[in-house]
Amino acid sequence: MMQTAQVDANQVAPVDTIDLRREFEDVEIAPVLEQLDRELVGLAPVKTRIREIASLLLMERIRQKMGLTTTFPTLHMSFTGNPGTGKTTVALRMAGILHRLGFVRRGHVISVTRDDLVGQYIGHTAPKTKEVLKKAMGGVLFIDEAYYLYRPENERDYGQEAIEILLQIMESQREDLVVILAGYADRMEKFFSSNPGFRSRIAHHIDFPDYSEGELLTIAELMLEGQNYRFTPEARAAFEKYISVRRTQPLFSNARSIRNALDRVRLRQANRLVSRLDRVLTSNDVMSIEAADVLASRVFRNAEQ
Amino acid sequence: MNDQSITVRGKDRYKSGVMEYKRMGYWEPSYQPKDTDVIALFRVTPQDGVDPTEACAAVAGESSTATWTVVWTDRLTAAEKYRAKCYRVEPVPSSPGSYFAYIAYDLDLFEAGSIANLTASIIGNVFGFKPLKALRLEDMRLPVAYVKTFQGPATGIVVERERLDKFGRPLLGATVKPKLGLSGRNYGRVVYEALKGGLDFTKDDENINSQPFMHWRERFLYCMEAVNKAQAATGEMKGTYLNVTAATMEDMYERAEFAKQLGSCIVMIDLVIGYTAIQSMAKWARKNDMILHLHRAGHSTYTRQRSHGVSFRVIAKWMRLAGVDHIHAGTVVGKLEGDPNTTRGYYDICREDFNPMRLEHGVFFDQPWASLNKMMPVASGGIHAGQMHQLLDLLGEDVVLQFGGGTIGHPRGIAAGATANRVALEAMILARNEGRDYVHEGPEILARAAQSCTPLREALEVWKDVTFNYESTDTPDFVPTVTAAV
Amino acid sequence: MRVTQGCFSFLPDLTDEQITAQVQYCLDKGWAVNIEFTDDPHPRNTYWEMWGLPMFDLRDAAGIMRELADCRKIYGDRYIRISGFDSSHGWESLRISFIVNRPQHEPGFRLDRQETVGRNLRYATHAYATERPEGERYSS
Repeated sequence: MMQTAQVDANQVAPVDTIDLRREFEDVEIAPVLEQLDRELVGLAPVKTRIREIASLLLMERIRQKMGLTTTFPTLHMSFTGNPGTGKTTVALRMAGILHRLGFVRRGHVISVTRDDLVGQYIGHTAPKTKEVLKKAMGGVLFIDEAYYLYRPENERDYGQEAIEILLQIMESQREDLVVILAGYADRMEKFFSSNPGFRSRIAHHIDFPDYSEGELLTIAELMLEGQNYRFTPEARAAFEKYISVRRTQPLFSNARSIRNALDRVRLRQANRLVSRLDRVLTSNDVMSIEAADVLASRVFRNAEQ
Repeated sequence: MNDQSITVRGKDRYKSGVMEYKRMGYWEPSYQPKDTDVIALFRVTPQDGVDPTEACAAVAGESSTATWTVVWTDRLTAAEKYRAKCYRVEPVPSSPGSYFAYIAYDLDLFEAGSIANLTASIIGNVFGFKPLKALRLEDMRLPVAYVKTFQGPATGIVVERERLDKFGRPLLGATVKPKLGLSGRNYGRVVYEALKGGLDFTKDDENINSQPFMHWRERFLYCMEAVNKAQAATGEMKGTYLNVTAATMEDMYERAEFAKQLGSCIVMIDLVIGYTAIQSMAKWARKNDMILHLHRAGHSTYTRQRSHGVSFRVIAKWMRLAGVDHIHAGTVVGKLEGDPNTTRGYYDICREDFNPMRLEHGVFFDQPWASLNKMMPVASGGIHAGQMHQLLDLLGEDVVLQFGGGTIGHPRGIAAGATANRVALEAMILARNEGRDYVHEGPEILARAAQSCTPLREALEVWKDVTFNYESTDTPDFVPTVTAAV
Repeated sequence: MRVTQGCFSFLPDLTDEQITAQVQYCLDKGWAVNIEFTDDPHPRNTYWEMWGLPMFDLRDAAGIMRELADCRKIYGDRYIRISGFDSSHGWESLRISFIVNRPQHEPGFRLDRQETVGRNLRYATHAYATERPEGERYSS
């Protein structure tokens, strides 16, 4: 039974016709796409790109079955955008899609940064990079802020060694792993210009726009709901204000900043409740975030200054 | 069943005369066994007219402190502690007239680390007790506190594999045939051919000791020539179980020492030498880096019938405590008695670190083994290469498969027979690890392997229709049901 | 002769595809995979040289097959074996071990016998290969 499921498309005699709906349902990518829709607020252009890529790969699979193609497609990608725009989450779902379509064997994601790949001394980098690559085999290697691998200001930088190994594997073991390079759009662009080898090996670029204020509010409310909290109407208004102020401040990182802000809001709510011990709490009290919990944020004070 | 204690208490308890066992304190339905208690499960078949509860209480009494009449000297002891307590009696499913009796024994009733002492109590007098038609010891729960007083297997499965450098597949053996009559020189020939052909072990039969046709030293010397020669021919570790069973401990030690001196990695004993001798040999084996193989010669006299005797699962537990490394535990598909589920229970007892209660395998208690080494089960008797997929499925990986006739009876000779078995085994393991449905595709996998191995092709041809399908006499009393057992 | 150590020595030499399947079996079981090589195939030579550390926590065989290819590039004239190590309590040892590379010509072993007391013999297994210095045993 397991055997038939594992039969490689290439080994079977080419077919002339394919029932598209059946093929689509067989690979079960619809649930992954739905999960992505549920998990991530907004991001319409990203979701469209993912659907396009999924469709393309589904066709690639069908073309293989029909004997119309024999080469393995290049699948490496770059995800560009500011922090907290959902790149890691999308990478996880992308790995799921690639796995279900049969383009990676295991479908796991290994997420790394420069420090995981590049060593501190001579002879240290190659084993480190190879170790990471071995772990990623059969899945997706997600390199966050990939441009840190390249430090032109230091000509002895060991990052170059990691880059060379990566490039080689990205070419020679396309069937064994997919590499996703991620980071800020502008820096990534510069990185590609100085390392054309990467650009030529990247098949799909996806740009992750910043969230709108409305989307950020929805994200906040979803996060709260997941933890059984909710804003009072006043708190909701206060948080809207919070978002618009916070966005203009440094180190804003979209959904991640929202999560951090809510963590602090919950802290202040708890403190507020505990400060008045002599009373009976209702579940409504425990669930409610009030305006004061939001407005006490440093963000507002900093903005006034 | 009675569910109230009817134990007589106070001064009436020790009035001279005869009192029912169930009134003397051997029936305590509300007793909660302690973690340190030894628990025995008996199948009790009382004589007609005997009250089942009284019969079961009598078993508890006769296997612990009781005698036929009240004795005042009980009052010089902590008698209540020392009395075994039957705490549960229930009818055996679909077996009218028989009852399961659960009996708990305080740990202080037993000498640490002594199978002889344990068995002298549990199966000492009680099996001849007149009010019973029949009695069988079905299972025992040995508390960790008691398990830890035993050495356990001298070597254990893991270290045996490390010493032999053989991992990932069952080991292969063969018993030298004919069992009796070969001279030492001829005997060694069989060993050499079988080992060179691909087996890991050869084995003396249980009744090969030191007879007029072959004295033991002859056998040992020629066998070790064969082992060493086969090892050099293959570059692989080889062994032969030299049976050191003899009339006295002194003789056994002498034979074992000689085996060691000749460089053998394994010696063998028979169950008939007795529990004390087995424990002595297990200690010797640990001290001398020797694997200890046990042939269960004689066990069927008391294990086979469901109504009377001792279940083999109990023997297996005792042997794991006693410290043997190999134990014959049945083949399921071969020529000797063995129901698949019951046999599975035996194998689990040999190999697991913890046996959960599993009534459908005849395992009545949770049994922790407290890191005692694992014992390698041996499947021997009427098995052949054509059954490899079934053997692997039923018996697993940590087992010695003994193909005696299935090696030596090969039309092109012993080495060819050995090669056929080894190729069949390796092909099956390879297929299993590749994720193939080897149980159903077994014959196909074997046929494929036989394409590049003539000996296997011949073996499959010769024994293709050999099976032993007889009804088992020792099957579990509980069949699996859809609901969980309570 | 053919050294028959390991799990699959009685089968025709495994193809890379077959080795990949066995390695994947190990990984799916959660075992660490180790590559070792030697030019001394004595049956009691326990410690073959390690090709790097045992590989823990891998998901897919491709990385190990690449290591094997690298090992073969340098030590392709020797014995190479792959093993799967199970660290779970009560085992903490190898679960499988099999040869994936062997010298083109395997000269085998000589059995030395030393006559001692009575009819006793002392045996020694002597690998012909070890008559030459380490590293020169199989390359001609």
